[in-house]
Amino acid sequence: MSGKAFLVDTTKCSGCRSCQVACKQWNNLPGEKTTFFAGPEYTNPAELSAITFNHVKFFPIDRSYPDKPLWTIMHKKCYHCEQANCLRACPVEAISKQNGWVVIDQSKCIGCGACENECIYKVPHVLGEDLKKYGSEQPLEKDKSYKCHACTVNKRKMPACAFHCPTGALTYGDRGMLLKKAKARVIQVSADYPHVMLYGEDQFGGLGVLTILKDLPEKYGLPLRPKPIDIKKAEAIRDTYHLLALFTFGLPSLKRVAYKISRSMVG
Amino acid sequence: MTNHWIDIKNADVIFIIGSNAAENHPISFRWVLKAMEDRGAKLIVIDPRYTKSASLASLYAPIRPGTDIAFLNGIISYALENSRIQKEYVLEYTNASYLVSPDFAFNDGLFSGYDPGKRNYGDRKTWAYQADANKLPKRDKSLKDPNCVYQLMKKHYGRYTPEKVEAITGCPKNVFIKVADLFTSTCKPDQVATIMYAMGITQHTVGTQNVRALAILQLLMGNMGLAGGGINALRGESNVQGSTDHGLLFHIIPGYLPAPSAKDHPTLEAYNKTTPQTADPMSINWWSNRTKYLVSMLKAWFGDAATTKNDFCYNWLPKFGKPSPFILLFEDMLKGVIKGAFYMGTNPVVGSPNANRAAQAMEKLDWLVAADLWETDSSIFWKRPGANPKAIKTEVFLLPAAASMEKEGSISNSGRWAQWRYKAVNPPGKAKSDLDIIDLVFKEVRSLYNKEGGKLPDPILKANWSYIPEDGHEASPHLVAKEINGYTWQTKDQMGTFMDLKDDGSTACGNWIYCGSYPGPGKNLMARRGADDAPNNIGMFPEWAWCWPLNRRIIYNRAAVNRMGEPWAPDRWVVKWTGGTWKGDIVDGGPKFGPDQKNPFIMNNEGVGRLFAVGKALTDGPFTEHYEPMETPTRNIMNSQKVNPASVIINEVAGQFGNVGQYPYVATSYRVVEHWQAGAMTRNLTWLTELVPDMFCEISPTLAAAKGIKNGDRVAIYNARGRIKAYALVTERVQPLKVNGRMVELVGMIWHFGPGCAATGDACNQLTPSIGDANTMIPEFKAFLVDIRKEA
Ligand code: SF4
Ligand code: SF4
Ligand code: SF4
Ligand code: SF4
Repeated sequence: MSGKAFLVDTTKCSGCRSCQVACKQWNNLPGEKTTFFAGPEYTNPAELSAITFNHVKFFPIDRSYPDKPLWTIMHKKCYHCEQANCLRACPVEAISKQNGWVVIDQSKCIGCGACENECIYKVPHVLGEDLKKYGSEQPLEKDKSYKCHACTVNKRKMPACAFHCPTGALTYGDRGMLLKKAKARVIQVSADYPHVMLYGEDQFGGLGVLTILKDLPEKYGLPLRPKPIDIKKAEAIRDTYHLLALFTFGLPSLKRVAYKISRSMVG
Repeated sequence: MTNHWIDIKNADVIFIIGSNAAENHPISFRWVLKAMEDRGAKLIVIDPRYTKSASLASLYAPIRPGTDIAFLNGIISYALENSRIQKEYVLEYTNASYLVSPDFAFNDGLFSGYDPGKRNYGDRKTWAYQADANKLPKRDKSLKDPNCVYQLMKKHYGRYTPEKVEAITGCPKNVFIKVADLFTSTCKPDQVATIMYAMGITQHTVGTQNVRALAILQLLMGNMGLAGGGINALRGESNVQGSTDHGLLFHIIPGYLPAPSAKDHPTLEAYNKTTPQTADPMSINWWSNRTKYLVSMLKAWFGDAATTKNDFCYNWLPKFGKPSPFILLFEDMLKGVIKGAFYMGTNPVVGSPNANRAAQAMEKLDWLVAADLWETDSSIFWKRPGANPKAIKTEVFLLPAAASMEKEGSISNSGRWAQWRYKAVNPPGKAKSDLDIIDLVFKEVRSLYNKEGGKLPDPILKANWSYIPEDGHEASPHLVAKEINGYTWQTKDQMGTFMDLKDDGSTACGNWIYCGSYPGPGKNLMARRGADDAPNNIGMFPEWAWCWPLNRRIIYNRAAVNRMGEPWAPDRWVVKWTGGTWKGDIVDGGPKFGPDQKNPFIMNNEGVGRLFAVGKALTDGPFTEHYEPMETPTRNIMNSQKVNPASVIINEVAGQFGNVGQYPYVATSYRVVEHWQAGAMTRNLTWLTELVPDMFCEISPTLAAAKGIKNGDRVAIYNARGRIKAYALVTERVQPLKVNGRMVELVGMIWHFGPGCAATGDACNQLTPSIGDANTMIPEFKAFLVDIRKEA
């Protein structure tokens, strides 16, 4: 790990989506064409994509505590796993750790979709069409995988999303210090949120994004004990894939099929 | 705001009503959450919907739109019944002990002096104190006299029982009591609550009285003047505070001086006769200085032409023949009285109440000038859906205006901080700053008057107008700021304080409350960026920018201490009196008077806070009383008046008001963080339209089920004024409320959309009524009736 981390404190998030817009701005990402709201409540777009590196998820309100309805609003992006499935699965080593952050090098990416398949948090996405960056002639290339790079690419001292969060719900800093802060916060708000918990301390060997959740993690699609893909198995899948790849004629769509077959063959 | 943004962190209880601050003032929540985390503060949110603000609250209470007074009066009643008031503060610093005229009466919703024919309180003589031989108000400090304000309050507010509150507002009684209990826990001298409010409080036929109810609560709790207290209006635009300070509204001129009326104030003498007076040696009565401010303003405007002999050109000051609030401007357009219009930063096709009517009124204009960044819904009103461009003769001019980053100047935030802002880039093409546009137009008009004459040329020809610096060719905001600050006429020295302004023409000052903001050449205090806090360490940061008046960060701060000058809340003291001097914030009313010599509420002529509003300050009553909104789903159970009896009803639109038989659902309007006001700036930006691409409404699952509407369906929402389409967001965050025994459903709508710009949608305001508050005429955007149905 880089020693740095993000802390997402949903007990402080006001859902202002500064984080979502700041990421688009600092990474020159185009806006997505949406209609109404694609996800629950105000969630838009419904999921992360190759041009949306973070988004704010608004969960349906839970009225089971009559005096204090529970409405969770959660900033979501790549969790930067210590044992990252995407990195382990990538057949061409396009994904690497930069200073502890999990970063995709698009110049090496062959668009096979392995990372997209193996990330249980549905983070990386292979872009389906050629696009231009917002306000620039630089391309965003079709058949390349994109996701949050922790602002390692745009060289900011403080990642844009964290810098622009007005409430302190999204902070960035020394991981050890954030862990301490998060644990104290969990105790502080436990009277208000009986099931409050900290997610990310141990999952996948420790996540680069720690999240204080108002309720049990399963409610938010975050498994408590996810299993990282086995390194040996990942190697076997990669070897099978390299064999099959000989027959894909460089076509990303076939590469994606090849990856899926390799995966099912290794089992 | 009496206090300021950072100061919210000092509160023990944060009470948000009529505001979704998390959504519309996102930065405020940095301080709200800090108070909660650092001091264990509690957040109360009162709102018809479970909002983003509510999601972070310690206590949430739902209410039906337009019933704030019932709720707040209920808390006042709870405080009085249970003796949960700050007694010493109430006795010393409010008019609780003052005796009111025995002729004052309140009967079935009407205060004494009502004229039903004219629908107003033309005679407010009984809304007065009893005076003793020295013309001082009589008092009974034992609070026993049946005519003392305290006893009158017990009688008036005692009617607002928790049961009544529940029946009117729909808020369950037990929840209401929890709120009342938590809020009134700040009656202890060292416990403080802040109140944050916005348009959900003001945009009602009882808007001013809503704010009054908040003021009464804060006076009873002893929360005015203290850090973490006060009444905090969260302004809806970055510089709306500045524009109000400088006379944006129809009834005031710069510095909150009353706008002169043609009938009542034909001469300076007549105007000055209304200067507030006092015989009370304890009262500072700051408004006694009013003439100095007016004369200095006239001197700034008319320069050499303004002399003692001609009353400083008072004659040239425009005077109103009738009040001209926003709604009536459009009625006058419709009648052809107003023939031309200048729009700067306004978009009435989206933002005006009864927007179809406003757009039709615009069709009658001969000409319209719109100074905008690009085409907005209003500058293309002539080709909006349903309009016939061929039949509209209005000539429209679009002046390209510079955006905020393309010009220099000050903006004043809600906390009254005037902050200087620099130009980051030059405006594109021929776009110009608003100041430059006004300067060029003025000079053109002046040259026309020079050439062609006119009805009253002198105010234009002789105006003191020179804003181009010696080394430049564009109007300079520095020269304007210096004039606003004020200077001595003879020596042209910038002044440091309005205490030195004179009524003899020797000083010129554009706006007295800004005097001291630019006290010398190169001394633009608004540009300061000192980041050190003051010794009391409460987040005032006195050397960051400058705030009116005189850089006082918390106004009414004399009320932060007792008569000995000791702070009520010593752990976050604002000012204190030690060894014959004041320490801390710039003390209100001047430093030479000790805490036992003068009363703290220096803008009232008796110097104390008014629980009972004496005199002519208000048009609709000295106490707050519940009336239903103009369009209501129920009857008024407090009195037999329906709507505020002093609200102005415009005959031409009276036929458009609907009743619950025709339109069964209560509607309200609001904003989301992703869009800015009428949306002309945000509906062109894809990063924002990705988040909120379309016009939508929010309804409860029960209403959706009753109407066969599913989440994401297209619906039509309609009443006698219009019919709009929207997407339906069906959400558990909206719940029906039980009002007078019947379930009442809500249709909530955002109002950012219109027919122009990249992301289009129907304007909510096509449905809102043309009726306003009895005092300010601010439109009743926040409570009206509609029907809804699924679109085929
Ligand atoms: S969250 Fe997904 S994309 Fe991010 S590091 Fe973990 S596995 Fe890779
Ligand atoms: S798409 Fe394939 S090649 Fe590209 S980063 Fe993902 S796993 Fe690696
Ligand atoms: S860290 Fe940077 S790239 Fe990642 S979501 Fe935040 S702003 Fe976007
Ligand atoms: S910027 Fe902060 S408060 Fe706003 S949505 Fe993101 S995490 Fe929440």
